[in-house]
Amino acid sequence: MIERELTVSNRLGLHARATAKLVQLLSPFQSSVTLAAKGREINAKSIMGVMLLAAGQGTQVKLRVEGNDETEAADAITALFERRFDEDG
Amino acid sequence: MRQVFQGIGASRGSALGRARVRLAHALVIAEEHIAASAVEAELERLHAAISKVRTDMHALRDRLHGALAHEVGEFLDLHTLLLDDPELLHGLDALIRTGRYSADYALRLQRDRIAGVFQAMDDPYFRSRLDDIDQVIGRIHAALHRHDAGLQGVAGEILVTDSIAPAELVQYQAQGVIAIVTAGGSTLSHSAILARSLHLPLVVDAAQALQRINDGDALIVDGGSGLVVLEPGPSDLRAHRERGRGHVRERRALNRLRSEPTRTLDGTDIQLYANAESREDVAEAHALGASGVGLYRTEFLFLQRFELPDEDEQFRIYRDVVLGMSGRPVTIRTLDLGADKADRTGLALRDEPNPALGLRGVRLSLSRRDLLETQLRALLRASGYGPVRVLVPMVTTREEVRTVRELLKQVARDLRSQGHEIAEHVPLGAMIEVPAAAIALSDFIGSVDFLSIGTNDLVQYLLAADRNNEALGDLYTPLHPAVLRVLRYVMLLARKHDKPIAVCGEMAGDPLFAPLLLALGLTEFSLHPGTLLEVRRRIRECDLAGLRQRAPELLRARDRAGIEAWLADCACLPG
Repeated sequence: MIERELTVSNRLGLHARATAKLVQLLSPFQSSVTLAAKGREINAKSIMGVMLLAAGQGTQVKLRVEGNDETEAADAITALFERRFDEDG
Repeated sequence: MRQVFQGIGASRGSALGRARVRLAHALVIAEEHIAASAVEAELERLHAAISKVRTDMHALRDRLHGALAHEVGEFLDLHTLLLDDPELLHGLDALIRTGRYSADYALRLQRDRIAGVFQAMDDPYFRSRLDDIDQVIGRIHAALHRHDAGLQGVAGEILVTDSIAPAELVQYQAQGVIAIVTAGGSTLSHSAILARSLHLPLVVDAAQALQRINDGDALIVDGGSGLVVLEPGPSDLRAHRERGRGHVRERRALNRLRSEPTRTLDGTDIQLYANAESREDVAEAHALGASGVGLYRTEFLFLQRFELPDEDEQFRIYRDVVLGMSGRPVTIRTLDLGADKADRTGLALRDEPNPALGLRGVRLSLSRRDLLETQLRALLRASGYGPVRVLVPMVTTREEVRTVRELLKQVARDLRSQGHEIAEHVPLGAMIEVPAAAIALSDFIGSVDFLSIGTNDLVQYLLAADRNNEALGDLYTPLHPAVLRVLRYVMLLARKHDKPIAVCGEMAGDPLFAPLLLALGLTEFSLHPGTLLEVRRRIRECDLAGLRQRAPELLRARDRAGIEAWLADCACLPG
């Protein structure tokens, strides 16, 4: 299992488009992926779940990945967060 | 049995079709249990409905093209992802399997569970995402009851509903709805304005119709007279066909005016500019011989999507409008959004108790300078391709105009130093819609190059009457002496200072009001292309000098009845 702390640093936070990007990115991976913030842990492969997190800019989230492709999945998510979901802001 | 309901015609056109009744967000389903042996069949029924919705959404996505694809596509993608959402699907399966609930009731339970969490959110943007989930769940529920496999969505049907939002209207038309009847609403709501621009027949304020009409009933809807006929008889069908033929005849007669000037009987040329919000509007404006675009609304770039359009995207769209008018001036209004319209924009505005008096128009732009600067950069870059004018909405104070002017200058300097080709002079104008701006106009008229009166909001603010409030139907009208006096004052002042002035509200697009506006001194109308030829025809019947002589009489009218009498009198004038 891999655990990492990530920060939502794009301007709009985990809004609809960023959420869609995250969910689409994760769909090919086998591993189970969760994000936790504000006392709530959600399935990161569920767009509804990620929206329920309501994570605005600056929110700290805890990533947890478990499965046979956990390293690749964790790296892909970390990279997406670091690229600020490909937004310019 | 034949029944007739009288509503108010809000967008012309006659439609014949089957009814589809929709109550917004009213997923009222009684608790319903199923036998253990029926669980597998119920799961199958649910998943068949879900894949039906998925297929429909893909089909809709494929049918969309151009601007509409852009506007609607983004939330369709989101809805498709929601349909595949593991949490939503597992939750439904579990409710059916372990709770032994019917698929319908499971949908409702799941919806209510999710709604509880969303409604508790502080952030209005995230909270409003519940609408998306509701729409998806509503679609699945509708699909569960669509046994008739031949029926594709709502294509060819007439939607009967309690109310309709502008975004839904666009979507329903894309899905093939041929007319809409609403229980509430008004002819001046944003949805009504949009329906007219989409040539989608709309009848509002037909509460009886919603109570009596059921799914599948045959209906005739006349968006002109506001009549809704349930189970029409032979004479109704004849009348419907006759309206269709009449419409064709009228279009033909009007079409002859396409290349004619908008000249009054006594030989004055009046300028008709187009209000536009899509490439189609611009093409139509060009074809109808509009003098230019008098109001290009940019909200539509921001609505129905989840992220703000960037500079390049805006630039390309503005440039297309400019190129589409081949050298005629294009007036682009900066973003005119408020909290009431912002929930699908990625702007994440705070909910306001009173959005009409809130952070909207230029107030929003000035509080989000990055937004305004991006928009001005895109506008100025488009000015390299043809004449562009910048129009600022909701101006209240002199400072607002001056601040925008400064920013415009600075952005122009930046762009030039970055090597962009932009016009030497880009005129800056103010919308006159806040009464304070009208009254204090003499203090800042020197800071603007032109003016445009937005009568829809001006009337609303002057009369303190919400144009969407059905209970105020009679109060909200431009035919109030105070409105006419303010219009007169603003027009006289503009003429004194030699500033071009247009009226761009709904009033300008209604041939009925043309003599009144001409009498008050107007020579520039900005209106939706859909009624441009009708207004041109009306103006060509008017004697301008005669009307202006009768202005004092109009301004002496003490009430609506007096103004209507004046108008009726003008309508009877020879020629």
